Amino acid sequence: MFNGYVITIAVFVGIWVSLALSLNILVGYAGQISLGHAAFFGIGAYTSAVMTVRYGQSFWAGLLAAILITGIVGAILGLPSLRVRHDFLVLATMGVNFVVVAVFKYVDFFGGAMGIVNLPAPSLFGVSFRGGALYMALVWLYAGFVLLISWYLSKTWAGLALNTVRIDEDAAAAVGVSVPRFKIYAFAISAALAGGAGSFYAHFIGSVFPDTFAFVESIAILSMVIIGGVGTLRGPIFGAILLKSAPEFLRFAQDYRFTIYGALLVLMMLFQPSGLLGDDSWLWTLGKRIFRRPAASMQAEEAS
Amino acid sequence: MTELRVEHVSKRFGGLQALQDVSLQTEGEILGLIGPNGAGKTTLFNIISGFLPPTSGTITYDGRALHKQHPHQIVRLGIARTFQIIKPFGDLSVLENVLSGIGMPVYPSARALFQRYRTSATLKQAHAILAQTDLQDWAQAPAANLPIGLQRRLEIARALATRPHLLLLDEPAAGLTTHEAEDLALLIRSLHAQGIDIIVIEHNMSFAMNLCERIVVLAQGQIIANDTPAVIQQDERVINAYLGQEEADVAHS
Amino acid sequence: MPFLQNLSNALVLASTYVLMAAGLTMVYGVLKVLHIAHAAVYTIGAFIGLLVFSWLGNFWLALLVAMIGSGIVGVIIYRTTYYYMLDAPRIVPLITSIGLFVMLTDLLQKGFLMGPYQRAFPAGGAGMPRIRTSFISITPKQMLVLVVTIVLMTLVYLLLTRTRIGLGWQAASMDRDMAAAVGVNLNRVVALNFFLGSALAGAGGVLVGVYNNSVFATMGDLVSYKAFIIIVLGGMGSLPGVIVASVLLAIVENFMVAWVGYVLPRDAIAFLVLILMLMFRPHGLLGKE
Repeated sequence: MFNGYVITIAVFVGIWVSLALSLNILVGYAGQISLGHAAFFGIGAYTSAVMTVRYGQSFWAGLLAAILITGIVGAILGLPSLRVRHDFLVLATMGVNFVVVAVFKYVDFFGGAMGIVNLPAPSLFGVSFRGGALYMALVWLYAGFVLLISWYLSKTWAGLALNTVRIDEDAAAAVGVSVPRFKIYAFAISAALAGGAGSFYAHFIGSVFPDTFAFVESIAILSMVIIGGVGTLRGPIFGAILLKSAPEFLRFAQDYRFTIYGALLVLMMLFQPSGLLGDDSWLWTLGKRIFRRPAASMQAEEAS
Repeated sequence: MTELRVEHVSKRFGGLQALQDVSLQTEGEILGLIGPNGAGKTTLFNIISGFLPPTSGTITYDGRALHKQHPHQIVRLGIARTFQIIKPFGDLSVLENVLSGIGMPVYPSARALFQRYRTSATLKQAHAILAQTDLQDWAQAPAANLPIGLQRRLEIARALATRPHLLLLDEPAAGLTTHEAEDLALLIRSLHAQGIDIIVIEHNMSFAMNLCERIVVLAQGQIIANDTPAVIQQDERVINAYLGQEEADVAHS
Repeated sequence: MPFLQNLSNALVLASTYVLMAAGLTMVYGVLKVLHIAHAAVYTIGAFIGLLVFSWLGNFWLALLVAMIGSGIVGVIIYRTTYYYMLDAPRIVPLITSIGLFVMLTDLLQKGFLMGPYQRAFPAGGAGMPRIRTSFISITPKQMLVLVVTIVLMTLVYLLLTRTRIGLGWQAASMDRDMAAAVGVNLNRVVALNFFLGSALAGAGGVLVGVYNNSVFATMGDLVSYKAFIIIVLGGMGSLPGVIVASVLLAIVENFMVAWVGYVLPRDAIAFLVLILMLMFRPHGLLGKE
C-alpha cells in the first residue's frame, strides 16, 4: 500500500508539521518572530545523535534528552527576546542560528563538517522501526502530540497570557502577566517540541550534518507558518503539508523551492496577511460559507 | 487600612525634570489628580504602577515598597491601573479581556500552564464584572470593535478583574459624551462604595470637582495644592497655573 | 609598519560596509523597515556592473550603469511592496523583506542569471595610482574603493543637507506624519531614499566584486548581516553613526584576525557581538534611550 518513496515524503511532512506547529507557539501565540527555529531543530537532532552514538543510549532516551535539552537551550536563547523587540529579535534569532550551526561545524565533539553518522533506528520490544510504515506512524504520532499540546496550551491561562503579550506588553503587565516569564515559556515549549522533531529527523536519516539546520531552513519553517495562517492550528499544518510535499511532486517546485517560498511570503503579506487559512482569509471564509451548518458552526468557532 | 504613600518622588528624563519632590498619600477616598498638560500626572501613575522607576524617592503601599517592583508584581499587591491611551486586547473578545485580569493570581504559578481559563467559576466572575460595568451585551465581540467610550469602560472592567484595592484611572472620561461621563461617575462612586480606593487623573475640571473628595494639583512636576475641591477652586496658584496654560495654548495656536 | 597597514586594510573593508549599511539605515530611518532584501540589491549591482564591464570594458561606465540599475531595482521593490504596507503592523513589511531576500537570492543563483558559481571581475584598479611609502602601501584596487566611497558619501551628504528634497528626507526620518503635515512629498522622498540607498549598495557590490575579482549570487549575504550589526551599532537611522560603526567594526575584525586568532569563525563572532549588542546596547554605541 505504501511504497518507500511515499513513506519518506510522509515522514518528512510529519516532521515539518511538528516544526511548523512548534514555531507557531512562538510566532502565533507569543508574537515573537524567530528566524532561528532550525537551530532548535538542529540542537534536538544533535542531542539525540550524541546520546545514541557517543553514549550508546537508546532512541527513546535520545528523544527524551532532545526534548529536554532543546527546551532548556530554548529558554536560554530566548533571553534576547526580553530586551529586544520586533525587527531586532529577528536579527538576534538569525544570529543565534548562525552561532549554533558554527558550533556544530567547528567543535570536534559534534563531528565538525563530517557530522555524526550511524544513528540507530528506534526499536521497541525487539521490533525495529527503521524506514518503514511504523516509523511514519511514530512520526505522525509525534505530530499529533505537538498538535495536542498546541491546542491545550491555547486553552490554558498561559495561552491567554501569551495572547496578551503578543497584543500589548504593557497592558499584559497591567493585568499581572510577567512578560519575561511567558516569553521564556513560549521559547522553551516551542524549542522543546522542535527538538523532538529533530530527533525523529536524525534517526530517520541516520546521520546529522550542520548545514541541514542552517538559516534557510528557519526561513522555510517560518514560511510554512505564515503562508498557512499564523496563530491558528490548521494553518501551520496546511502550510507544512503544502510547502514540504509540493517540491516532491513538482519538478519546478523542487528547482525553485526558495523562489516560491519567497514569492509566496511577499504575495501573502500584500494580499492575505493572515495566511491562506487565517481567520479572515478568503479561502477560510469561503470554506466556512460552503460547509457551514447552523449547529456545527458554533462548535467550530469554539474549537478554533 | 491600606494606604499608598508617595514620598519625595522625583523623576528626571535627561534634562527634563518631570516630577520634583512629590509626596502624597491616599486616605481611602476618591482622589483627583489634576494639572495642566505636561505637569507629570501620567508620569506619576507610571511610577506608582511600576512602569517607570523614580529617579529618587520612595513609594509604599500597605507598608511595602513599590518602587523596586515590576508592573505585574504591583498588580498583585492590589493596585490596578488603566491607560490614558487605551490598550484593549483588540483581537480578544470583551469577555476574554476581562478573563485576562481574572487570571492575575494564577500567572505566577506553573498552574498557568495546565489549568484551563474558561471554567464555570471564572466565567461567572467575568460576567459579574461585565454586568457591573454594563458591558454584558458585548461579551463576545472583539474588543477592537467597541466604540471608544465602551473601550474606556472595558479598561476599567479589565482592571477590576484583578480585584484591586486601589484603582488608578488615567483620564477615564476623555472623549466621552456628557451622558457617558455621568454614567462613568456613577460607576466610579459605586466602586468606591465597595471599598476600592481610587485615584483619578482628569482633564475635565467639572467632572473632577464633582467626583473627587480631595484634589491634588500638579504643575511643572510639583504639587502646588492638595485640598478639597471647594478650596482648590479658590486657590490662586491653581488658577494661575491653569491660566498660564491657557495663555500658552493661545500663544501656540 | 603592520599597524598602519592593518589600518588601511580596515578602511577599505569599512568602505564596503558603509556603502551597504548607508542604504539600510536610510530606509530604516524613514520607513522603520528592516530592509533585509537590500543584500540582493547589492548583488544585483555587482552583476549589472560585471555585465556592462565585460560588454564595454569601461569600469566607470559599468559603475554608473550598475548604480542606476540597482537604484531602479530598489525603487521597484519599494513601489510594488513596502509602499502598500506603510500603515500595516511592522511584522508585515518585515516578513515581506525576508520573502524578497529569499526569492531574489534564489533567483540569482539560477543558470539564466548568475548561476551557482563565481565569476571574475577583472577591472583591476581602474587606473588608480599605487601609493607606496616606507610606512604604508595602498594598492590601486584599495585606492579605487576608498576614492569611490569617499566621493559617493560626500555627494550623498551634500544632497541630504543642501537640497530641498534632502531636507525633506531629514524631516521624514524624524517624524513621518509631521513631515507629511508640513508639506513634504513623502512618496518622492521615500522613492529617492530607495533609489539612493540601492544605488550605493550597487556601487558597493561593484567595488567588492572588483576588489576580490569575484562576483557570485550569495555575495551579499555576509555583508548584509554585517550591515545589520553596523546599523545597530550606529544607532539606527543615522548616517554618521553608520560611518563610525563601519570603521569600528572593520578595525576590530581586522585586528582580531591579525593579532588574536579565533576559535569560532569570524562571522560567528560577529553574530555573537550582534546578539550581545542588541541585548545590552540596543540603541547603539553612541545612542541613548
